[in-house]
Formats: sequence, structure tokens, C-alpha cells
Amino acid sequence: MSALAPILGDYRLTVPAMSPAPARLTKGTPAPENFEKVVDEYQRRLYGFALRMTGNREDAEEIVQDAFVRAYRALAKMDAQQRAELRLQPWLYTITLNVTRNRLRSKRPTNVALDSLADPDALLNETQEGPDQPEQIVDRAADMILVEQALLSLPMHLRAAATLRFIEGRSHPEIAEILNQPIGTVKSHVHRAVRILRRILGPQVGRIAASDDFKEATDAML
Amino acid sequence: MRCCDVEALWDELRDGSEINREHVVAHLRTCPPCQRLFKQFEGVAYCLTCLPVVDPPVNLVPKIIEHIEATIRSARKPDCVAKLDSPIGTLYVGFRTSGITCVHIDRGEGDEATLQRMQARLRRGVVPVAQAPGWVSELLSAFFRTHRPNYDRVDISELTVFEQAALRAAAEIPPGEVRSYGWVATQIGAPNAARAVGRAMARNPVPLLYPCHRVVDSTGHLHNYEYGLEMKARLLELEGYVTARR
Repeated sequence: MSALAPILGDYRLTVPAMSPAPARLTKGTPAPENFEKVVDEYQRRLYGFALRMTGNREDAEEIVQDAFVRAYRALAKMDAQQRAELRLQPWLYTITLNVTRNRLRSKRPTNVALDSLADPDALLNETQEGPDQPEQIVDRAADMILVEQALLSLPMHLRAAATLRFIEGRSHPEIAEILNQPIGTVKSHVHRAVRILRRILGPQVGRIAASDDFKEATDAML
Repeated sequence: MRCCDVEALWDELRDGSEINREHVVAHLRTCPPCQRLFKQFEGVAYCLTCLPVVDPPVNLVPKIIEHIEATIRSARKPDCVAKLDSPIGTLYVGFRTSGITCVHIDRGEGDEATLQRMQARLRRGVVPVAQAPGWVSELLSAFFRTHRPNYDRVDISELTVFEQAALRAAAEIPPGEVRSYGWVATQIGAPNAARAVGRAMARNPVPLLYPCHRVVDSTGHLHNYEYGLEMKARLLELEGYVTARR
């Protein structure tokens, strides 16, 4: 079974605050016994989020590890009722964001551009089948690096809003829950982030957005 | 609809919300400046969605699980507590293999109450031991000799990142000198967080070793100390600082 099982069984005995845990919950958040499933399901998403927030793979990895440890501890202290009411996904994002904040705060300034994530080779492989010419692909990789850097240059709160909105694809109410902010604030942060990015990226926006699928999408909308 | 009203609604089109869709689209069709800005807005959003998805390292899940297990294992093991005599009275010293985790200056509350206090502060069990291992008593006596302990064997890893940073900054204050809460805050890159530094000092589980007694208020007054201002003044005097009494 899961690698966590024996330790968790033992752990339950030593935490008096924890009610006799039901074997499984029909809905809501799984009990800590099933935590490995939670890790498995969310690690990719939270890693991606932390990576976009920090621009650094090592930081992202450590942030995700810390976030899951915190989540596990908090979950172990909750009773079945609290766990059933918990909305796991936004809660995990919130924890990840808090860990990210703490970490970035203690190691300012953010090292923009030192560890670029867009990997030209990966892009080349990805699009091998496509009609793009190699030089276009290299341009595109360079553009992606610029987009990454632009995002990293945003202040923390705007970066969080833009990342959750456009990269993680969360809705306004979800982002409001994650950031613990009113929906109006979220909307205005998203908007401000886009305005700043537009200013930073300038001509790149036109070039990247010149692709066919983007044109199709906006034309269809209007 | 005015341009600015429509602009606020652009982002909602992405969710497929139908409520204002008609108005927004109608406006965009008839207002070229808005249309241009809208396309740029969507362009930026599109750029962000194009960013490649980076896969986590393949071994991330086992690493996370291992990390959780290690934390649980170490959290479950109680700390040992030994009593030591010192120039400022009896000390209760909590420790584990990683280092000293807690120091408590005896206030005459008795062993039972003191151990409970330490347990509450550490948020895990403590077991009294008859005698401190050599490295523990050596570290403490070195502190009273030089006022500079070996921080490799003082474990504050359970504290928050901020608290750790604040304590490390406090440890930079030379013995016999004092600095303000604001100074510590500036040292750790959070110049507005003097009050948070105060809180971190108040929660310091290893007083003496991490010298929160060397942190005073901006006017030079001793301000506050878990063991009373008398004790703070006494510690500073031991280190050669002359306290300006109120």
C-alpha cells in the first residue's frame, strides 16, 4: 500500500485532537491516510504554479514540498466535519502561495532571468510535426523567455493574480478564495497585471498573437 | 455602454459568461479603439497561456512523501530537557540530536510547570533527563564565557522563515552592544516589520543563545523581556553593556 500508511496509522494514535478517523470519506477532502493520493493529484499543478511565481526550478520544488507538509499537518488536526467542508484545491493553492511569499521575502531580489524555463529544445521537439520553420521556433522560444521574464517582473500580488487567471485558468471567484480577496480586487489586479505586461512586452504581443489560432479565437469572439 | 465599463468586463468573456456578453461584443464591434485594446489584452492573455508547461521532476512525489514522513517522525520524538546551573540561575535546556531547541530560565515555578511550559512552546512532548550530554553543557558554558555560542548546534528549524531570519540577524549583534527592533527588521530586508520582529523576539525559544536580549526599542530602552527587564539588564551587563536605567 501507500508508503505513508504505517507511519500514519501510528500517527493517528498520538494526535488526540484527531477524531477517530473514518476509513474513507465519501466527499470532501480525503483523510490524511489518503494523503499520497492528494500529493499525486496536485503536485504537478502546484509545481507549475510555484515555478511561474518564482522562475526557479529548485525553489519551486522546495516550495511544493513545504506546502504539502503544511497541508498534511493542517489536515491531521482537522476533524471529519472540517475535512468534508474543506475545498481542497483552492486551499492547496493558498498554502503554496503563502510558502512562496515567505520564501521570496527571505531571498529578495527575485533572480529574474537566471534560470529561464522555456527550453528551446523542448519547443523544437514539440512542434516538429508542425509547419513552422526552425527560425520561427527559435524566435518563439525567445519570445517565451521574454513573456516569462515580464511575468516575473510584476509585483507579487499582480503576478499571483495573472498566473492564476491565465496560466492556471482559475475563475474570478476561485482566485478570490485563493487570495482571500474580494472578487472586485481580483478583477482589478488581473487587469492591472495585463496592462503592465502589455507595456513591457509591446511588440512581442503582436508577434506571438499573430498566430492563426489566436486570430481565429478573437475573430470568432467579435 | 461606456468604454471603461466595457473594459472592466473583457476578462469575463473568457469564462463564457453570457450575462454581459452581448453588450460587450456590441460595443467592441462599433468602437475601434476599444477593439484594438481588447485584442492587445487578449494577446497578452494568449502569450501567458502559451508559456510551456514544465513537468515536475519525476521523483517529486516520493520526495514529498519522504519529506512528510521525516517531519512527522521528528515531530513525534520528544525533546530531552536537562537542568543546568549557570551564572544567572538554573536553566532548563531542551535538546535533540540536531541541537538545542529550547532554553528556559528558572522562575521558581517547579519542574512540572516548567516542563509543561516548554512543551507548550515546542508544541511537542518533552522528557526530563538526569544529566545533560557533554556538548549541551559545553555549549552553554561557552556562551557564558564568550557570549557567542556555536549556532550549528542550536536548532530553530521549526520556526517560520521570518522568525529564523530575525533571530539570525539578532545573533549578528556583537555581545556588549544592543540594536533596535527596526535595525533587525532592516537587516532582514523588511524595514517596516519592526513590530513583527518584536513578536519574533518574544517567541524566541532559545533565549540567551539567540540573543533577543540585545534587541531594544529605538530609544534605547530595554522595552520588554520574557523573564523581566531586570533579567534583560543583567544579561546585558554580563556582556559588558551599561544599561541606561529609566
